[in-house]
Amino acid sequence: MSFDSPVKEYPFTLHVPDADLDLLRRKLELAHLPDELQVRAESQWNYGVPLADVKRLVFRWKVGFDWRKFEAEINKLPMYTRDIFIDNFGSLNIHYVHRRSDVLDAIPLLFVHGWPGHFLEVRKLLPLLTEESVDHPSFHVVAVSLPGFAFSEAPTKPGFGAAQYAEVFNKLMISLGYEEYVYQGGDWGHVVLNLYGGRHVKAWHTNCPMTTPKLSTVLAHPSLIPRLFALPFDKDARDAIALTKKHFAVGCGYMIEQATRPQTLGYSLADSPVGLLAWIYEKLVTWSDEYPWTDDEVLEWVSIYWFSRAGPAASLRIYYEMSHGRTRDFFDGTQWIPIPTGVSYFPREIARLPKSWARFLGNVVYQGEHSQGGHFAAHEAPEKLAYDLRRMYGRDGPAFGVVPSRSGYMQR
Amino acid sequence: MASIDEQPYSVSIPDSELDFLKKKLELSRFPDELEGAGWDYGVPLPHVKRLVEYWKDGFDWRKSEAALNRLPMYTRDIDVEGFGTLNIHYVHQKSDVANAIPLLFVHGWPGSFIEVRKLLPLLTAGGSDHPSFHVVAPSLPGFGFSQAPSKPGFKGPQYAEVVNKLMLALGYKEYVYQGGDWGYVLAQHVVTHYGHEHVKAWHTNMPVPKQPTLFKNPFLFMGMFFLSYDASSMKRVAHTKQQHLKGTGYFNEQATKPQTIGYSLADSPIGLLSWIYEKLILWTDEYPWTDEEDEVIEWISIYWFSRAGPGASTRIYYELTGGMTHDTSHGTEWSSVPFGASYFPKEIIQLPKSWSHTIGNLVFEADHDKGGHFTAFEQPDALAGDLRKMFGKGGPAHGVVPGKNGY
Repeated sequence: MSFDSPVKEYPFTLHVPDADLDLLRRKLELAHLPDELQVRAESQWNYGVPLADVKRLVFRWKVGFDWRKFEAEINKLPMYTRDIFIDNFGSLNIHYVHRRSDVLDAIPLLFVHGWPGHFLEVRKLLPLLTEESVDHPSFHVVAVSLPGFAFSEAPTKPGFGAAQYAEVFNKLMISLGYEEYVYQGGDWGHVVLNLYGGRHVKAWHTNCPMTTPKLSTVLAHPSLIPRLFALPFDKDARDAIALTKKHFAVGCGYMIEQATRPQTLGYSLADSPVGLLAWIYEKLVTWSDEYPWTDDEVLEWVSIYWFSRAGPAASLRIYYEMSHGRTRDFFDGTQWIPIPTGVSYFPREIARLPKSWARFLGNVVYQGEHSQGGHFAAHEAPEKLAYDLRRMYGRDGPAFGVVPSRSGYMQR
Repeated sequence: MASIDEQPYSVSIPDSELDFLKKKLELSRFPDELEGAGWDYGVPLPHVKRLVEYWKDGFDWRKSEAALNRLPMYTRDIDVEGFGTLNIHYVHQKSDVANAIPLLFVHGWPGSFIEVRKLLPLLTAGGSDHPSFHVVAPSLPGFGFSQAPSKPGFKGPQYAEVVNKLMLALGYKEYVYQGGDWGYVLAQHVVTHYGHEHVKAWHTNMPVPKQPTLFKNPFLFMGMFFLSYDASSMKRVAHTKQQHLKGTGYFNEQATKPQTIGYSLADSPIGLLSWIYEKLILWTDEYPWTDEEDEVIEWISIYWFSRAGPGASTRIYYELTGGMTHDTSHGTEWSSVPFGASYFPKEIIQLPKSWSHTIGNLVFEADHDKGGHFTAFEQPDALAGDLRKMFGKGGPAHGVVPGKNGY
């Protein structure tokens, strides 16, 4: 770990007040669980999270889970906070992880989580991305907590949308001395590229390749046209479309509620640790590829939401803001831009574009395919994700040297 | 006056449950709120804080309970094929008029049997100038003080079986039906299985027509192309589209993951309160709930203290939509059983009135300029008035139940 950061940074130590731990314990002691329909084992998840799982997790959270132990481990990460000023919204205190590689010319990489994720998703990637080697590039990694998530402040006014999130990301990187950098993330990444792509964001990689195919993209890239018509022969495309359709048909209750009535849902998630646990755990399990979650791993994850600076309700608002209360597509207003784009395909991702349609996403120069892994790729399959990033940005890779004078390798 | 072997029912929530609720309310943890959010993001924080405060320190459940117990309530075991016996809670008030029309009143979500309360005196009242009714208002399985099914697959036909068997058990072989929300959806199932033989006519305050098709409704279908819809129809459709876009989060969640949201509703009284209160406000036509905090808290308390718990009530969404894979009318058929529709301006689903013919044999329509989704609660006089017109002398459904014309 290298401390030769070019700028002054303000270390952050997580310490949840005793009173907060006490309130959680008292609430768990008063936990009131519903019953459950008697369902066959294979249909157990049909109606939502099975009761046995919730019972076991609630008990563990109350009795065996040692938050201070996990807190101490989290504090071993190089965490900081910084005030970032956003036009029309004032100053927000932003929490982030920043680990520099020993490789001076490492590539600055901004890692952005989604919902219900958080900054800890970068944890397993950190050693892989920052380690030095002649065989692969290294990165300086910045993993930001989105405003309203974990230990970042939340905006206090309506309208904090895509452009504002992008502004936070870009200003953070620039304030750390990274005028030019690359971006890793899914979900909410598109707008940052539109606003800062080219000048600041030099390349982008995602493990969640989704966008709404646009006519303008087709017209600009006629090679897409035959691919659209090749559906009967393109099994991957049919599979991807079926997967995406299914997600939007039966997997979207959370999304519609969060995009239209985040406050209403927020009362439950702020008040009930059980409710919050179920709401998030459902995604941890159904969106991952049989990842062997341990109970403590789940509880640590959910605790970050429970103890978050702005509370769990604040994190829901991103869905409302990014869709203008569900009156617009999440990808509305984004345009295709030519910066090099990389995609990793994980089989249990919840929704995705067909591979043959990857060009809708951007100037796709790298595609990596994996046989294992789901939505939380950085957490489930960090070596696979790191592998793709190394291939994309490495010496023989299609995005080598995108950040001028930051090759990712030691000068020898 | 109880009829054949009715088991009177009294609500009596144990002190320990009241204490437990109070303890939970005392530990409430609230979210913050965006400045100037109003209702845009959901229920505003000041509303929730005020109601929670009242629930914790002001609301007198025992007083509500005593008033509820003055309603003629009963329970009865009903056998449901494949599901065993369910103990069903219901209100049953007979009219003094011997030939009163037996009427089954079915609530929806987030409603309950309590919605019949204001209708009871109006419908059962005797009078030479209007028909009278014997009223039966059950708590649907999983709601109020009825047992819930314990296995998956309790769908339209099962709900229909319960309510029909209840009427038969009370000696009402032939009856009429009134419902909105799930009460409307279940009417279609009840009429499909028991229409003509048992259900002689039905009425709804929430008609949900289908789009006319060439083969089923040729004239309406052609009308879609050649006649322009009047301003009122267009307004209705626009209202429905808006509701569909902005107001279906709860529906989608409950229809796909009822257990997941159930944990929140069972564990957090303020979560349950917000989830339901949002509908009480957004779905009504300026009903003065703020003047009636007791009404709100009582309403929510019925969910909190319900026999099967608040989580159970969400499952109807899953079962009746196949986990969001089909329509709620799946398995029902158009029936010639006479039906009536009343249109209220703040109902959540509104489609062109001419399309009501796609639902069934439309014999009665009434328009109103005030009222919303919880019609029986908001506009009991208007609703009772419509039923009296529909079933009264000179009305289109007069005398549908042989020997019980209401006079």
